[in-house]
Amino acid sequence: MTGETDLQEIQEKIQSLRETAEELKTMGEDFPALYRNASRILASIKMLELNIPEASPL
Amino acid sequence: MRGIQRKPPFPYGDTLCVPLEDVVEFRQTSGTTGQPVYQADTWQDWEWWAESWAYILWAQGYRPCDRVFLPFGYNVFVAFWAGHYAVEKIGAEIVPGGVLDTQARILKIQELQCTAMMATPTYVLGMADTAKKMGIDPRLLSIRRITCAGEPGASIPATKKRMEDAWNAKVFDHAGATEIGAWSFECADQTGGLHVNEAFFLVEIQDVDTGEYIEEPGRRGKMIITALDRQAQPCVRFDSKDLIEWAPDPCSCGRTFRMIKGGVVGRSDDITKVKGVLLSPSAIEEVVRGMDGLADEFEVIVDKVGDIDRITLKIEIVKGREDERPRLEATLKDQLRLNTNLGYNLEFHDYGTLPRYDVKAKRFKDLREKHCMEKS
Repeated sequence: MTGETDLQEIQEKIQSLRETAEELKTMGEDFPALYRNASRILASIKMLELNIPEASPL
Repeated sequence: MRGIQRKPPFPYGDTLCVPLEDVVEFRQTSGTTGQPVYQADTWQDWEWWAESWAYILWAQGYRPCDRVFLPFGYNVFVAFWAGHYAVEKIGAEIVPGGVLDTQARILKIQELQCTAMMATPTYVLGMADTAKKMGIDPRLLSIRRITCAGEPGASIPATKKRMEDAWNAKVFDHAGATEIGAWSFECADQTGGLHVNEAFFLVEIQDVDTGEYIEEPGRRGKMIITALDRQAQPCVRFDSKDLIEWAPDPCSCGRTFRMIKGGVVGRSDDITKVKGVLLSPSAIEEVVRGMDGLADEFEVIVDKVGDIDRITLKIEIVKGREDERPRLEATLKDQLRLNTNLGYNLEFHDYGTLPRYDVKAKRFKDLREKHCMEKS
């Protein structure tokens, strides 16, 4: 890991991804494909949170 | 657990902690100790499985340039399923060897110049044997990395050496279970233990007799494990019955995940008393597989003659070395006595006549309970 890696910035971007995916999931309640794909994206975002643990929402 | 699963919702019962419509994967345990347990996973659980396996493969040196052959029957058992998706996840290439027989698998490895594979130790040795019978030297194939699961063999030095010599490859261990996940792995530095994947699991060690939690290295106990973030069937402080101990030193690889020394060294329900002495099947495996001249397969049967326990060890001599039998028999008796403090009835069988296994081998048979039931 390089000295320039900004964990705080990574965590913020992961959090931003989560918020966007959750909004899409809510907006997709009448669009099954959108709802399902947003759900899958959220599962992948969970893996990002495990990779950089401090990003997990409390 | 099995009783709970008879309740609704079918077939998971009360163990299910998400709506049934969120379940996307079914797996089941092999039912080693009785009826199989059904395991539900959500999509996030399945991502989690593949992610934990991705940590294993990367730590063992797998990279996107690898072509990985998977010689296992893709079915209801979790086995190497998550390994398959982890290969994709790290950007390497997967070759699914599903319904091919052993000979066809060897030919496919040869044809595609696969660089790595994953299998149980029993099958790794069996494949090497089959390759030799086909006139193919497995050491000259392109497999340079093998990840094992399902049996403790890859953490038993003598078995690991046999596999590495047979394939001219590095062999790595990992430990996992259907209800838990892939919780530990050996890294490329191979410092004599497994890393606990502490990003995904909380591992505690409990004294088998007193229940006291063990923090210090060097004291063996049973593993109590919690899978972090598993949704459909959470695994909280699960008594795995695996015997482990903390390693005294951190690993030279630089990972800060704690190490367990020597991998899973046995099971608390596997260790049995024979003639009043505690016996672990892995101790017999270490002796048999450590002897040059004995073949890979063996079988241990414990029964009673009258009221006295008897242990029969069935072994095979490597083809062409049958005239060494007196020396092998004497050495084997000595080594078994030294390592297990027990005497054995040795049965030598013709090479190739003991059962061969594709998945988890059942080499240890305790017939004493049956004997008691027949008597009563």
